[in-house]
Amino acid sequence: MLYEAWFEFDPISQQNIYYGRHSVVSDGRHFKNRFCIVGLGVTKVGHLPGRTPRMLEVEAARLAIEDAGLTPQDVDAAIQAQSDPGGGVRPRYDDAFSRMLGLPVKVHIPGVGRGGEVATLGILSATQLLSLGIAKYVLIAGARDDWSRSQKIRKEGQRGQAFLEKEGVWGRPFGAIPAASFHGLFATRHMYEHGTTSRQLGAVAVAERQWACLNPHAYMHGRPITIEDHQSSPIVVWPFHLLDICLQSDGGTAFIVTTADRAKDLKTPPVYIMGLGFGEQMADLWWEKKNYTTLSVETAKNDAFRMAGIELKDIDVAEFYDCFTTEVIFQLEDYGWCEKGEGGPFVEEGHIGPGGDIPVNTGGGLLSSHHLGNLTCVAEAIIQLRGEGGDRQVKGAEVALATGHGGEIVSGQMCSIHSTLILRR
Amino acid sequence: MTWNKPRPNIPEDMKLFWAGIKEHKFVLWHCKVCDAWYWPPACCRNHPNEPYMGNMEWKEASGRGKVFTYTVPHWAFHPGFKDEAPYVYALIELREGPLFPSNVIDCSDEDIKVGLPVEVVFEDINGEFTLPKFKPLK
Repeated sequence: MLYEAWFEFDPISQQNIYYGRHSVVSDGRHFKNRFCIVGLGVTKVGHLPGRTPRMLEVEAARLAIEDAGLTPQDVDAAIQAQSDPGGGVRPRYDDAFSRMLGLPVKVHIPGVGRGGEVATLGILSATQLLSLGIAKYVLIAGARDDWSRSQKIRKEGQRGQAFLEKEGVWGRPFGAIPAASFHGLFATRHMYEHGTTSRQLGAVAVAERQWACLNPHAYMHGRPITIEDHQSSPIVVWPFHLLDICLQSDGGTAFIVTTADRAKDLKTPPVYIMGLGFGEQMADLWWEKKNYTTLSVETAKNDAFRMAGIELKDIDVAEFYDCFTTEVIFQLEDYGWCEKGEGGPFVEEGHIGPGGDIPVNTGGGLLSSHHLGNLTCVAEAIIQLRGEGGDRQVKGAEVALATGHGGEIVSGQMCSIHSTLILRR
Repeated sequence: MTWNKPRPNIPEDMKLFWAGIKEHKFVLWHCKVCDAWYWPPACCRNHPNEPYMGNMEWKEASGRGKVFTYTVPHWAFHPGFKDEAPYVYALIELREGPLFPSNVIDCSDEDIKVGLPVEVVFEDINGEFTLPKFKPLK
C-alpha cells in the first residue's frame, strides 16, 4: 500500500508538516508545543530514613496533583519513572502509588527508566497516551531511597552503590564499582586525549555548589566549597575525588503531563514540551572507540532540536545529568557550547556558574542538590521556566534543556542512554 | 585460601567463555565466516548471521593488548578489597580489537598509563573458577 505524500499547515507549531508516504508524520515537528507539564511535586530530599520509595512517590504525586489544581480523580494514567522496578537494580512493588492514592487510572506503566534516565522516557510514554486519547492527565512519579540503602550495605562493609548489582554483572570479582568505575574510564580517556585536568573537573563541582548555595532545597545548601576543597577531598576512584561524585538521595518527584488545550485552563502556568530525543552508546560499542570521550548526544540532540525548531543559542538554561563532574564537561562539548576537548578550560572560564552565559544545573544538580535520576534535571527546568527559582532564578529563562543518562552496559563498562528534553514557558 | 570477594556472575550464554578461562585459554567470540572478533558476544556486524549466531564460536585469542583507559579505586567498596586498594581496574584494547575490562596487576598506580602493553594472566581461585587479569608486558 502506498499513500500520497502531502504538506499541511500546523497551527500549533506554526510550520508546514510533511506527511510522508509510509508514516503518518515523518519528522516529529507536529510534536512541538502540543503537550505540557502542568504540576510539579518534589518531596524533601536528602536523608529520609524510614520513608519507602512508594511513600515518597505518593507524597510527590499528591503535591503534583495539588500544584496543578487537579484532583486525584482527574488522573487517568500513571507512569512510574523508575528503573527496573520488577526485579532489576531497585526491585520493589510497582503498583504502589496509583493504588495508594486511589487514582482511577486506565493504565499504570511501571518502570520506564533506564538507569538515571527516567523522566524523558516517562514523558515519551505519556505523550503517546495523550495522543491516542487514552488519557487526559498522565501522572509521572518516581522516587529513590538510595541513601538509606547505602547505609544498610555499609554495615556489611560495602560502600557506594553495591546494592545496585544485578545478575550477569561483569566487574565485581575485579573490584569494579558502579558507577564510579564506568565513568572513571571515560574521564581518564578524556584526560589522555584532551589534557583535561582534575582542577578542571573541580571547577564543575565548585560552580554547581555555588548554585546549590542559592537553593534552600539543595542538600548542600549553606556548604560552599573552593577548588582547594575539591583537590584535598579524598580520591575515591582515581581520577575522581569525593567532590567529583554525585550525592545519593532519598526523595520523590512527580509531575503531570497533559495536552496544551487542557493545560490552558489550569491554575499553574504550563511548561510546553518542545522536543525530545535519545541516543545509545551501545549502538557502536566496541568498535567505535571514540565513544569513550563523547556521550551519545548526537542523535538525541538532533531529534529534539529538530522537533523544537531551535538552535543551541536559544537555550537559556541547561540542566545536565551530572552523576560525575566529567558528565558536565562532556555535555558542554557534545552539545556544542565549546569544541571537543575544550570543556575543561570552558568551565574554568566561569561560563556555567551563577552569572555565567550558560547557566548549568541551577539548582545544584546531582552533585550538590539531590539525585533522583533525571527527575532532578527536569524538575529544576520546570522551576526555572515558571520563574519560581528564587535567588537562583535565571532572568528571562524561556527555553530550557534537560538531559538524562544511564543504563549500564555492564560488559562494556559504560552507561548507554542519553536523552534530550527541550521545554519552554 | 578463602575467597572473600564477589564471585563471577555467569549467565548461561557466557558459560563457555568462563570454561575456556578456567583451562587458561583466553577465548573471544569469533566469526567463522569473516574472522572478526568480539567481546562480549554479539552478532557479527559484517554480514547476515546464522540462526542463534551459528557462525560464531569461542576461539582462543592472543591475550595481548594495551591499556585503553583505566581507573584506580582507592576506597574498598567491598570488604574483600580492603588490603588490595588502591588497585588498577582498566579497559584493555585487545590486539583483536575488542575492549576487555579487568585488573592490571603487578603495576602500581604510578606506572599505569594509557597505551601500556599488557598480557593476560590467569588467577585460579581454589579450583572453583579462574579470573582473567592482565600484567604489563615485559
